[in-house]
Amino acid sequence: MPRRSFVCRCEDVTLLELDHAIELGLSEVEELKRYTGLGTGPCQGKECMSVLVSHLVRRGLVDPTTVQPFTARPPTEPVTLGALAAGLPAEPES
Amino acid sequence: MDADERLLLRPGPERPAVSVRWDRDRLVTARRGDTVSLALLDQGILETSRSAKYRRPRGPYCLQGDCGTCLVRIDGLPNRRACLTAVREGIRVEPQNRLISGPDPTVLIDTMMRSGMDHHHFMVRPRVVNQIMQGVARNLTGFGTLPDREPEHPARHEIHRPDVLVVGAGPAGRAAWSVLSAAGLDVLWLDRRDRGGLGTEAGPPPEALLPHTGVFGVYPQEQLWAAMSDVPEQAEVLRSIFPRQVLLATGARDPIIPLPNNDRPGVVAARGLLRQLERSGARLRADDVVVIGEGEHAASLAEDLGTEAVAPERVDRIEGNPVEALRLRDGRRSCRLVALAAPPAPAYELARQAGASVAWESGGFAVQRDDDGRCVREPWPVWVAGDMTGYLGERRAAMDGERVARALLRNHPPASPSSPSSRP
Amino acid sequence: MMGKGRAQAMGSRRAELPSRVDIAIIGGGIMGLSTAYHLSRISSLKVAVLERSYLVSGASGRNGGGLRMQWGDEGNVALMMESIEMCRGLAQELGINLWFRQGGYLFLARTEAGESRLTRNAELHHRLGAPTRLLSGAEALEIVPQLDVSDVRLAAFNPEDGVVFPWPFVWGYAGQAVSRGVTVRTHTAVDRIEGLADGLRLHLSTGERLDADRVLNATGAWSIELNRSLGIELPNHPHRHEIMSSEPLKPFLDPLVVDLATGLYFSQSTRGEIVAGITMPDEGPPATEVDLASSRRFLAHLGRALTTIMPLTAQLRVLRQWSGPYDVSPDGDAIVGPSPGLPRLYQVCGFTGHGFMMAPAVGKLLARLLAKGERHPMLERWDPARFSRGGSTRREDMIIG
Ligand SMILES: Cc1cc2nc3c(=O)[nH]c(=O)nc-3n(C[C@H](O)[C@H](O)[C@H](O)COP(=O)(O)OP(=O)(O)OC[C@H]3O[C@@H](n4cnc5c(N)ncnc54)[C@H](O)[C@@H]3O)c2cc1C
Ligand code: FES
Repeated sequence: MPRRSFVCRCEDVTLLELDHAIELGLSEVEELKRYTGLGTGPCQGKECMSVLVSHLVRRGLVDPTTVQPFTARPPTEPVTLGALAAGLPAEPES
Repeated sequence: MDADERLLLRPGPERPAVSVRWDRDRLVTARRGDTVSLALLDQGILETSRSAKYRRPRGPYCLQGDCGTCLVRIDGLPNRRACLTAVREGIRVEPQNRLISGPDPTVLIDTMMRSGMDHHHFMVRPRVVNQIMQGVARNLTGFGTLPDREPEHPARHEIHRPDVLVVGAGPAGRAAWSVLSAAGLDVLWLDRRDRGGLGTEAGPPPEALLPHTGVFGVYPQEQLWAAMSDVPEQAEVLRSIFPRQVLLATGARDPIIPLPNNDRPGVVAARGLLRQLERSGARLRADDVVVIGEGEHAASLAEDLGTEAVAPERVDRIEGNPVEALRLRDGRRSCRLVALAAPPAPAYELARQAGASVAWESGGFAVQRDDDGRCVREPWPVWVAGDMTGYLGERRAAMDGERVARALLRNHPPASPSSPSSRP
Repeated sequence: MMGKGRAQAMGSRRAELPSRVDIAIIGGGIMGLSTAYHLSRISSLKVAVLERSYLVSGASGRNGGGLRMQWGDEGNVALMMESIEMCRGLAQELGINLWFRQGGYLFLARTEAGESRLTRNAELHHRLGAPTRLLSGAEALEIVPQLDVSDVRLAAFNPEDGVVFPWPFVWGYAGQAVSRGVTVRTHTAVDRIEGLADGLRLHLSTGERLDADRVLNATGAWSIELNRSLGIELPNHPHRHEIMSSEPLKPFLDPLVVDLATGLYFSQSTRGEIVAGITMPDEGPPATEVDLASSRRFLAHLGRALTTIMPLTAQLRVLRQWSGPYDVSPDGDAIVGPSPGLPRLYQVCGFTGHGFMMAPAVGKLLARLLAKGERHPMLERWDPARFSRGGSTRREDMIIG
């Protein structure tokens, strides 16, 4: 097995692949996510977000005082379609 | 397997044996209180799946529910987290994405794409090759297969209207809960784990804790916090929570360290490993594990694990599948587990969904709060405590939880004993 | 290595802008970039694309990637037959994997009204040469064995419909356009448009200015804002459409399935995720601004509909939910062509929930209009002036979501 240094294990994104995307002119967290696939797997970025940003900060590509993570979309913990279905019809008014 | 080939030492009173069926026909003896991940690890079963693109062997990493690489099929349901599932008698655990129909191109794929695979520009032309590649790719990715069956019991829905929703039963969450419930507030306290952060030695978890319950989303427009309880062998419960206030204590995660072969089965997070061992009252032999990390954080984890810490700069690569050794710039250290100890990164996601801002601080995005610990005011005040505000460690996280809970009480003193109408 | 393509720059925030172009395209979504690409192929016009954020930030990066020729209106069927034909070799043309997979669209009718829609459409498709077949519930089960077809009255299946992965589609057009001389500038918004004697002047968020002979408003759901600032009143409006994907599973589902009764649609991506959306009931009055929030309410409706039609999904988990802006046109037809009162400003908006699949054909016909003055038959009904003439009629009854 060749040596690889992974940044995102869910989607098998290596440091080399990340740098390749950066060479194409991408630098923003959101666009690097989409181009490399980083953070789009089962962990949804929980594991790789800080590794990505550490790398961008180290390379001087983002400003550490303003950089933001990509959108933290629900669900952050597992939820099944069956459980969600139980949320109907009782749509409680709040 | 011989007792001495096992990874875990089990001092202290013997716990009842539980048998786990692994990969259809292998019976594994675990101890009550173990998680599936720990039980398999004890037996040297470290590879539990293959990866999405290169089909490299993978096993659990973070050991606390965050990374998703421990996903296995449990009792006929795909993609369950082995590291958060406690063993129970007769539980069936199966690897995922390991076997595929036809010849397994694993070695070929990983070897051929030595320099990395640009999946956007891989085998685009000619069209026939592209079509074949797409067909193969489709069969290689994806983790589990469909469930064996429909659920036995349909899921239920419950609505809660607590004074305070407390998320997390780690040190900060426990401390906060004690303060708030002692003040007579109606507190809904939950954690995604089965016992919060408590070891099995610690006696039963507090009755007030709703375990196995993960908050999966915050929906400010609906003023709603949504959670699901997933208690083994029971119907799932969807929870719609309309809190007056929220106190979050969701902790921090353990990032991977980008080193060559950091994906090998046997590479785990030091903190997660330690928690799993504490939970099961188990230990490792000093020779079997080595920590990679810098500074005090890594040193103290190494000490707790009974081994030494190696700085990442000294590591040339990780060897073996599963792990056999660390190849260092100045030598070799054989081991069976490599425990990574990067600075923990705050778990900010729920706070951010609720509208909090985050800032990059020493290796993670920390949730920003005012002096009292509040990060959001509308449509409900949200308070944050513990590691999610920047890594504090257990003792300081507990103190922070208590401090923030007191600030919450100061700002919103409970109206004379909580009105019964505010209960679910 | 065999067949290994080369990655290309796709435009960036650092791309240098000329001071004047023949055509400035506002919006780097699929419409703007497909048009830019086709312009670069058939003309030597100087073209620049301006995108406010990163390239797949709009609806084009948020959609379900479904492509179908199963429409209810002759013009749309013909257009989509052309678009799907173009997609066959498009990965090779653009030099990027699009993951276009023709697994078909399977429509399920559970009401009498739905049944008659499918029957009527199948006749139309037949006449136009689209290979749509009508199926019984039992026959639908052969295509998707996990369905509960107990109350399915009729199904329609077209094996040539399919799905793509939207992101590389956008990058592919951008990369090719850039390599043919188009300037693609990201992270740059057009804040204001000023009329000149011989063109239009764009004032950019970076403080720069760009003059152009003609300008194309390809900002999708954001086009309303831009038009309003110029006093152009068109009746399209933004509409939040939510969508989700499940945990990745081994392939089990070939077609994209649509349940006409609930407006539920779902397919399986190459990565193995079930990608699903639904028409939400009781949505209230039309929105005036783009809203990209996600809701639990959506997940509940979707969960109910999906677990009803495919009960085995009850214990499957949602991986992520997000939303994107539909750009809804009141008569269901797009809004394409010169703006009423400002003919140098062209519109390409109002594509509701199906702009992605139409973009290959639309980019081509729009490039022909802009470069050569050629008028595709669809341009007549897409004319932005139709609303003020009071001449719009609704022809299409197969808009989903
Ligand atoms: C959830 C969802 C699912 C869908 N599913 C499908 C489907 O299955 N099949 C299908 O065919 N279609 C689908 N659609 C519809 C399809 O995505 C759209 O019709 C299509 O992407 C529209 O493309 P566009 O280029 O017009 O707009 P967009 O992709 O939205 O591009 C507009 C761009 O303009 C930019 N912009 C806005 N204002 C400015 C400014 N002032 N200056 C500079 N740039 C600006 C924006 O940032 C944006 O990138 C779906 C849509 C959604 C939301
Ligand atoms: S989620 Fe189980 S090991 Fe990370």
